[in-house]
Amino acid sequence: MAENKVLVVGGGFSGLTAAVEAAETGSDVIIVEKNPYLGGRVTQLNKYFWKMCPPNCGLETQYKRIKNNGQVTIMTMAEVEKITGSEGNFEVTIKTQPRFVNEKCTGCNKCAEACPEERSNDFDFGMSKTKAAYLPHNQAFPLQYVIDGKACKGSSCAKCAAACAYGAIDLNMKPETKTVKVGAVVMATGWNPYDATKMDNLSFGKVKNVITNMMMERIAAPNGPTAGKIVRPSDGKEVKNIAFVQCAGSRDENHLAHCSYICCLASLKQASYVREMYPDSKVKIFYIDIRTPGLYENRFYAKIKEDQNVSFLKGKVAKIEQGENGDVKVTAEDIHGGGKITETFEMVVLATGMQPTAQSLAGAGVKVTEDGFVDQATLPKGIYATGTLKTPVDVARSAQDATGVVMKSIQSLRRK
Amino acid sequence: MSEATVIKPDLQFVNEIIKGGGESLKKCYQCATCSVVCNVTPEGNPFPRKEMVLAQWGQKDKLIASADVWLCHQCSDCTAYCPRGAKPGEVLNAIRKQSIKEVAMVPFFAKIATDPKWIWLLFAIPMVLFYMIMPYKSIDAVPLNNEGKMAYHFFMPVFPHIDVTFMLTALFAAVSAFVGITRLWSGMKKNAAGAQGTGSPFSHIVPAFTQIFAHKKFTDCNVSKLRKWGHLLLFYAFAGLFVVTVWAVGYLYGHEFFHIPAFGPFHFGEAPYPNSDPVKWLALASSVAFAAGALIILLNRLGNAAKAGMGSYFDWVFLTIVIGVGATGMGSWALRLAEMKIGYIVYYFHLVLVWSLFAYAPYSKFAHVFYRTTAMVFARYTGREVKAPNAGSVTEAGVQPAAQ
Repeated sequence: MAENKVLVVGGGFSGLTAAVEAAETGSDVIIVEKNPYLGGRVTQLNKYFWKMCPPNCGLETQYKRIKNNGQVTIMTMAEVEKITGSEGNFEVTIKTQPRFVNEKCTGCNKCAEACPEERSNDFDFGMSKTKAAYLPHNQAFPLQYVIDGKACKGSSCAKCAAACAYGAIDLNMKPETKTVKVGAVVMATGWNPYDATKMDNLSFGKVKNVITNMMMERIAAPNGPTAGKIVRPSDGKEVKNIAFVQCAGSRDENHLAHCSYICCLASLKQASYVREMYPDSKVKIFYIDIRTPGLYENRFYAKIKEDQNVSFLKGKVAKIEQGENGDVKVTAEDIHGGGKITETFEMVVLATGMQPTAQSLAGAGVKVTEDGFVDQATLPKGIYATGTLKTPVDVARSAQDATGVVMKSIQSLRRK
Repeated sequence: MSEATVIKPDLQFVNEIIKGGGESLKKCYQCATCSVVCNVTPEGNPFPRKEMVLAQWGQKDKLIASADVWLCHQCSDCTAYCPRGAKPGEVLNAIRKQSIKEVAMVPFFAKIATDPKWIWLLFAIPMVLFYMIMPYKSIDAVPLNNEGKMAYHFFMPVFPHIDVTFMLTALFAAVSAFVGITRLWSGMKKNAAGAQGTGSPFSHIVPAFTQIFAHKKFTDCNVSKLRKWGHLLLFYAFAGLFVVTVWAVGYLYGHEFFHIPAFGPFHFGEAPYPNSDPVKWLALASSVAFAAGALIILLNRLGNAAKAGMGSYFDWVFLTIVIGVGATGMGSWALRLAEMKIGYIVYYFHLVLVWSLFAYAPYSKFAHVFYRTTAMVFARYTGREVKAPNAGSVTEAGVQPAAQ
């Protein structure tokens, strides 16, 4: 008899969708999530397509469905170590890192107030700091604090434990390994922003005020490091003359050979953030081709193009240098006849692409394509991949794909 | 659409570029990374992005007599950063090869110097030539000099065998180069219609030479830094060996016609010269520079292949001749000192290779000596060398588009 249980690896938009859709058919579901919170990359966005609403407008619905359903087990700070068995009867080994905070946590923030240590906030890509005892972000689900084992001094300090009125802190937690039995596995480990330091000519990390598009989302987000005010990192100056560098690492054999699909729309969207915040601001988008396939996408592009203060220059930026007073010098060839130009901006956003995480699936017969996505034909029966593991997609398409993949996973539980 | 320009692609030209080392041509998707990372291009209307699209569209006339194609020094910075592996550096090299063929005085020579199919004939011509003129067909038959030692001028007399052959060869090369340069110049002029010349074209020769002697352009290359030193060494080795040749001619005919006797360290009328003669020092120094330069170029090519491309037959046959000249030159010298008769055979191949180097100079990759120099003079003459003559200017209000 097959296990009536689906394991979903990854709790981003794809994984969450797969989990609730599967659970609502009556199957048990386990979500294994590496981060201390669910929601994945979407939680880091300021607004997202197509409604241009903040991340919670979609995630809240999913969280509520999970809560109401009651058949979903959430394991955060956890990763799959090993999968054995076959369709209908997999045995999965899961390793959980210590959170040092148990489910008694009410989110009162007393531990963070008492904590003397600080850590760089990876949720904001290092642009802010939190205490070693922290809530990942203000919309975190589960609403449960976490203590960074690396930054925390442990039981020798224990000021947080003394401050907690609910006995929610246990500084002696150890990593745990657990084995579960499931009938099907849905892999939804998503993507990482491509490491912008690898493009040496784009000078990320060397020239001040060159940021990535994901950093721009954090800067524009109300719960981000600047509380939503678009200012540049080096001196907090309002950014009124900004450039977007498309295909920063994507469509490039030396980096990511594939088109990451989302970056053109992301830059158009971020252009609208700047234009809405500062009516006198100017935006310039350097591109090879603007790729906005689809009816909605093309309309959005057309709408942004109408704005006289947003200009487009055909020619890839291949050189970025430090200008004066924290400004950034960008060089490109204006392909439409303008020659090689160097222009100065207050801030430059690199539209970095999607680095797929399929490499973690490789081995045991599973192959990864040249571009780093999973070769689905090589997945064992009963194990499925969804979302950006297969190809770069946006949130809406991730949700559609996950819903479809759930059908296949349920077939694995009930195959006759 | 009011007036459409009909592009007439020369498909045969496209195929020749693809076959001649530019097989990656069609991968280019016109992102212009290449023009930006290139440090030797003028900023207005930069290369090599436009050359890539012109080549894809078979615009032969615009490319075969183009100053820009020759201003490219093949640093390969573009190739290293190209996101498509389209290797603009290799493509421009292939275009230059077509350019050499196009302006060649004797197209047949250009054919055998650029097409691997004819490699046998390339070397067969000088091999047969020198075999026919050498007085002794067996190395054991070659007499020794008064001291009972090997001397290559017994194997192949300096006059008339070597001198007449090489004088005629040099004359042929010079005339070929002159015809090629003239054709390239008028072609470039036609393509740069509207460009205004400054002063006389000849007034730009000295500044161009100064730039070449200092290897200034190579300094701007990033990916192949070592190449500068390899090329510099080879360049000065050639210059040194040229002086040695003139010097040797002076020893021979200065003694022959003007009866200048040997004095001090200068061995007029003698051959081979002892190792104490300054001409020998210059020859040796040049040879060492030659070997080191060729080795650096070779290693740089091999070591940079992943980033810069492997080069084509065209590059390798030239590099082989250059390295061969050095190796057989040093080899025959060492074998003569060691009194090993196999040295005659090595010397024979040395003559074959030196002849190949000169005779094919305006037809092989060596032709860059003439044509790149011509293009550099042309660029100075038409103001193309100056930074940003018609590039957009940057102001606080943003970029003012360039005047078309």
